[in-house]
Amino acid sequence: MSDLLELPWHEARTQASPREYLDACLAAIEARDPQLHAFLHVNREAAGEGRPIAIKDNIVTTDMPTTCASRILGDFVSPFDATVIARLRANGASIVGKTNLDEFAMGSSTEHSAFGPTRNPWDPNCVAGGSSGGSAAAVAARMVPAALGSETGGSVRQPAALCGVVGVKPTYGRVSRWGLVAFASGLDQIGIVTKTVRESAEVLGVIAGHDEMDSTSSAHPVDDYTADLDTGVRGLRFGVVREAVEMLAGEVRENFDAAIATLRGAGAIVEEVSVPTIGYAIAVYYIVANAEASANLSRFDGIRYGRRSPEARTLEEVYADSRGEGFGAEVKRRIMLGTFALSSGYYDAYYGRAQRVRARMRHDFAQAFAKFDLLITPTTPEPAFPIGAKTDDPLSMYLSDIFTAPANLIGVPAIAVPSGFSRSGLPLSLQITAPHFAERAMFQAAAGYERETGYWKAVTGLLGY
Amino acid sequence: MKIDREEARRIAGLARLELDDAALVRMAGEMTKILTYIDQLREVDVEGFEEHSDSTATPFREDVTRHSLDQELVERNAPAWSDGFFVVPKVIGGE
Repeated sequence: MSDLLELPWHEARTQASPREYLDACLAAIEARDPQLHAFLHVNREAAGEGRPIAIKDNIVTTDMPTTCASRILGDFVSPFDATVIARLRANGASIVGKTNLDEFAMGSSTEHSAFGPTRNPWDPNCVAGGSSGGSAAAVAARMVPAALGSETGGSVRQPAALCGVVGVKPTYGRVSRWGLVAFASGLDQIGIVTKTVRESAEVLGVIAGHDEMDSTSSAHPVDDYTADLDTGVRGLRFGVVREAVEMLAGEVRENFDAAIATLRGAGAIVEEVSVPTIGYAIAVYYIVANAEASANLSRFDGIRYGRRSPEARTLEEVYADSRGEGFGAEVKRRIMLGTFALSSGYYDAYYGRAQRVRARMRHDFAQAFAKFDLLITPTTPEPAFPIGAKTDDPLSMYLSDIFTAPANLIGVPAIAVPSGFSRSGLPLSLQITAPHFAERAMFQAAAGYERETGYWKAVTGLLGY
Repeated sequence: MKIDREEARRIAGLARLELDDAALVRMAGEMTKILTYIDQLREVDVEGFEEHSDSTATPFREDVTRHSLDQELVERNAPAWSDGFFVVPKVIGGE
C-alpha cells in the first residue's frame, strides 16, 4: 500500500487499478489521519477512474458538507459543485474528502479551525501551516496524491513549505473561483498541493481556464504545463530578491544559498535584483485583504443558510448574535480591521494608502521581471513552529507570509518546492515566482530544481511508513 | 493608530458583530498593535502611484436569463423557511 502512494501519479497508475489506488488512499487516511487531523470529511463511497484528490473545505461540493472550518455554516451542504470540482469529476477524479483549514482561510497555521488544528506529519507537535494546512498534511503524509487549497496571501505555498510538499498559486484569474467561498476577491485564487512538480502541472491543466460563472476568470489560453518539465534550468535567468535575503537568518539563509548554488550548478544564471517594496507586503495585505473580507463575510448573517442564534429576538440581533456566536476570534479580528480601514475618516489613510503602495509594488515587480525570467526567495522565513507558539500574537503569525503575500498582491503565479531540511528535521522550501501567465516557465524551473535535488522522495517517519 | 474600547464598540456595530466588554477591550488592544505595524506604510513614497492602477477590467457577460437554484435546494440550508420565503423576526411594527 505505502509503496504505491510514494509514487508520482503517472507511475502509480501503471502499477495498480484506479480502485486499488483509491482503496490505498482510503486505508492510509484511516490509519494516519487520527493523528494528523488533515480531514474534516472523508467520502468512503468515493469513486472514479482517475486521480484521487482532497479538497479544502472552503470549496463547495454537493456530496459532502462545506464548513469553511467555521461554526457559522452549521450543517451547510452546497446545492451546486464548484467549477473546479465539476472539471475534476469530468476528468475522472475521485473527490475523497474535505480538508481542514483556518476558519474561512484566515490564518497561517490551521490552528484557527473551529474543529481543532492539523498536525505536521514531520513533527506532530508543530503546525502544518495554513490556511490550507489540511491539504498540505494530507499530501505530505501520502494519504492522497493531490489536494486543492486556496490562496489569498500564501495559504497554499506556506503550508506546502512547512509540510515539505509542492504548492502552487496560479496567476490571478487562471482558475475559476465559482464555488470557492470568497475571502478577498481581488486576491483569492485556487491552488494545488502535490508531492512532485509534475503532478501539480497535470492538475492545473485540468482546472485552469475561463468559466462564464466567474467573470474574473481569464480567457488567456491554457498552456500545456507539462511541456517543459524535462527541459532543465540551463540558461534561465533567476533574480534573487535582495530585500528578502536581508531578512534571512541562520539555517534558512544557508539553505537558500545552497539552492542558489544548485541552480547555478545546473546552468542557470542567478543574480541579485532589488524589489524595494517587498517588505511592506504584510502591511498592505492586512488592509486590502481584510477590507474585502469585511464586505464578503457580510453574507453570513443567519438568514439564508448556516446557523442562526437561538437567542435573537429582533432582526438586528439575528445578524449580530449569529455572527458574534458563529465566527471565531481571528475572523472577528479581520472583519473589525477591514471595517475600520473602510470606515469614514480612515479610508484614505488606510485602504487608499495600501492600494497605492500595492501599485508601487506592482511596478517594482514589473521592473524585476524585465530583467529576469523568474524571481526566487525562500517560501517562508522559518520552518514549522510549535502548535500554540503564535496564537496569542496575531502579528507574528501574519509575518509567516512575508515572502508569499506579494504574489497575491500583484497577481502573479508562484510555486513552493522542497529545498531540504532544518537541523531539527523540518522541511524548508524554495519559492519561484513567475510573470503573469508564465506558469509553464515556472513549472520548468521548479521541475529542473526538483530533479537536481529530489527532496520530494524523503518521506516522514512519524507513522511508521 | 490607537483604538480604544469605545472605538472598537463603534466598529463592531458597523460590522454587526456582538462582542461583550471583555472582548472589546481585547480587540482594541490587538487592533492597536496591528495598526501600529501597518502605519509603516506612511513612510513609502507613493508619488505617482494611484489607488486604482490595475488596468485589467472585469468584462461583462450578456444579460440573459438563466436557470438558478431550485427552491427546495435553498430551503434545505435555510435556518427558517415558510412557503417559499426566508422567515425573519418582524421588522416593521414590531416591539
